[in-house]
Amino acid sequence: MLEIKNLHVKLADEDKAILKGLTLTVPKGEVHAIMGPNGSGKSTLAYVLAGREGYEITDGDILWNGESIIGMEPDERAAKGVFLAFQYPMEIPGVAGLTFLRTATNAVRKRRDMAELSTPEFLKVVKEKAAKLNIDFEMLKRPVNVGFSGGEKKRSEILQMAMLEPSLCVLDETDSGLDIDALKVVSDGVNALRSPDRAMLVITHYQRLLNHIVPDKVHVLADGRIQRTGGKELALELETSGYADYTGKAA
Amino acid sequence: MDGTLPGTDGTRRDMTVQMLTTKAEQAILKTFEDNAAHLPGGKSVAELRRAAIGAFASKGLPSRRVEEFKYTDLKANLREAFPLATGGAAGADTAHGALGSHFGPEFAANAVAFVDGRGVSSGGQAFLADSKAVELEWVQAALADESLAASADLLLNTALFTDGAVIDIPSGADVADPVVIVASARDNGLAVLRHIIRVGKGAKVTLVEIERAPIAAGLRQSSAVTHLAIADGAEVVHIKVVEAHKGSTHLGHWQVRLGANVSYKPFQLTLGEGLVRNGLNLDFTGQHSTLDFGGASIVHGSGHADSTLVVDHKVPHCTSRELYKTVLDGQARAVFQGKVIVQPGAQKTDGKQMAQALMLSPDAEFDSKPELEIYADDVICGHGSTAAEIDPDLVFYCTSRGIPTAIARGMLIESFIAEAIEKVEHEGLRDALIGIARDSLAT
Repeated sequence: MLEIKNLHVKLADEDKAILKGLTLTVPKGEVHAIMGPNGSGKSTLAYVLAGREGYEITDGDILWNGESIIGMEPDERAAKGVFLAFQYPMEIPGVAGLTFLRTATNAVRKRRDMAELSTPEFLKVVKEKAAKLNIDFEMLKRPVNVGFSGGEKKRSEILQMAMLEPSLCVLDETDSGLDIDALKVVSDGVNALRSPDRAMLVITHYQRLLNHIVPDKVHVLADGRIQRTGGKELALELETSGYADYTGKAA
Repeated sequence: MDGTLPGTDGTRRDMTVQMLTTKAEQAILKTFEDNAAHLPGGKSVAELRRAAIGAFASKGLPSRRVEEFKYTDLKANLREAFPLATGGAAGADTAHGALGSHFGPEFAANAVAFVDGRGVSSGGQAFLADSKAVELEWVQAALADESLAASADLLLNTALFTDGAVIDIPSGADVADPVVIVASARDNGLAVLRHIIRVGKGAKVTLVEIERAPIAAGLRQSSAVTHLAIADGAEVVHIKVVEAHKGSTHLGHWQVRLGANVSYKPFQLTLGEGLVRNGLNLDFTGQHSTLDFGGASIVHGSGHADSTLVVDHKVPHCTSRELYKTVLDGQARAVFQGKVIVQPGAQKTDGKQMAQALMLSPDAEFDSKPELEIYADDVICGHGSTAAEIDPDLVFYCTSRGIPTAIARGMLIESFIAEAIEKVEHEGLRDALIGIARDSLAT
């Protein structure tokens, strides 16, 4: 279970508060959506969950399975099961996709006291999972994300997620830059990972992703706080009314 | 005192000499006098040596006032010159040891090996110290090449070389295995080699020069100049690996001349904490030839690696590409000077260069100096240079996937340098170079 308690976050080198007392609970087995206008703190929440530098937590806490993770390095969090699918996945020139995936998979398995995958085992698993995501295996021999289209990058993120088998998946604007076909492939990939042991937090600006990844709950994030929580129908309501009610101005 | 100030003039001259001549320069001049009588080559070579040492005596070691050595002040950095190594008891095994563990046995099998400045294993090639080889007309012509009198480091080599490889690749030959030249030397010695290589028309060959000191080695000094003439239509890959440790110096230079329709792919890997200068002067003398240069250096601590290129487009329709990458830690310093000259009439020249440094320490220094001298109007020439730290966003991306920070950084550093090494197409060579680079990054 993910418990975010009264979380206050500011940029490390600026005095501007971004999250101002965010409280949220996502039990295992559930998918929660966070919707909100631009600048509401959605991406900050995603980065703070994953442990990116440059943010300062001034108050509150984040508990994952009862344990505070805010003092942990990103790789420790990953070992504990936290995974962030990036809004803008990064390109790593010179590091082949397969090398990256295997290094990450085995680093995480090692820290979870699982046996590392041998090369043939690893390749078998990757081939299988890549095929499900319509990822050309040859593409994985190329440097990570270099020269990939927007859709290819997002599918590559979901493949990483599938390989690392996280228990907390945070998807940051996974629908951005996707056409309708790619959206379906990515959503199917995410849905395949839904499980009673896994919690998911889907961050999105638009409702359309939630037609494919149907959430158990929808939270509206505005001005650094959860303003409202409802069922999946809340997303539809936002689609028609916009975020104006929460920001005091038209979004 | 009679008004003509007897003695004053002489005294003043002595003082001038003392001020201009460093301990190292004095040692080099003395080394020449001590060894001149025994150095290989006939009368004409002896004359070349005399002329070279004379010119060296008047120039001295280059200081930072000499533009080509602006960032590599040999006068200040070379505190002493060791006695000339003129051969010893060590055999080919010592030289093969310099290949290290990453080059497979096929590289050692046919290597031209030098120990302490003397050939110990010919690998089927000739030695310059062999009177028959040095008397060959084309070898004599190469030795007399005036471009090798251009700077003091080259003059020093001409004056003192004790041996070298003489390699003649016949026209049309397709040499399957790389031709390897490997040099090693004992500590506290100065090893000076001159290699003379000719590649005939349409021939294909891979040349590999290796000069590596084992980790436990003491102080070493070496100079190696390669004169390479490549005839029309030939395809040449030319690799150099230099590893020099703290307090050691290597002065390398390649003088290269390309005919028409030549493909020349040089790659230089420099490692360690020593002072290394790799010069490359290349003349395009025939049309439709290409230069595809790759350079990589991994410089530690107080090390200094200098790659200085002068590429002279004397004729139209030639292409030059240069990619140099360096990883610097501690107070290490790398220098990349890339001069491209496009002579009047050398239209349709296409020249591009890129120099990139990855700075692992705030005290590291990268001096990058592109120079374009363009005297033709229908050309494409460009250059770029970057110096950056490891991108913290990329480190975050890797660590967010569970990869520990140290491994993530290592992976990113290796990928940076590998981008240059991957220009080497020969798989065995490329793997060896990556292995050597990885070892260096791990130290």
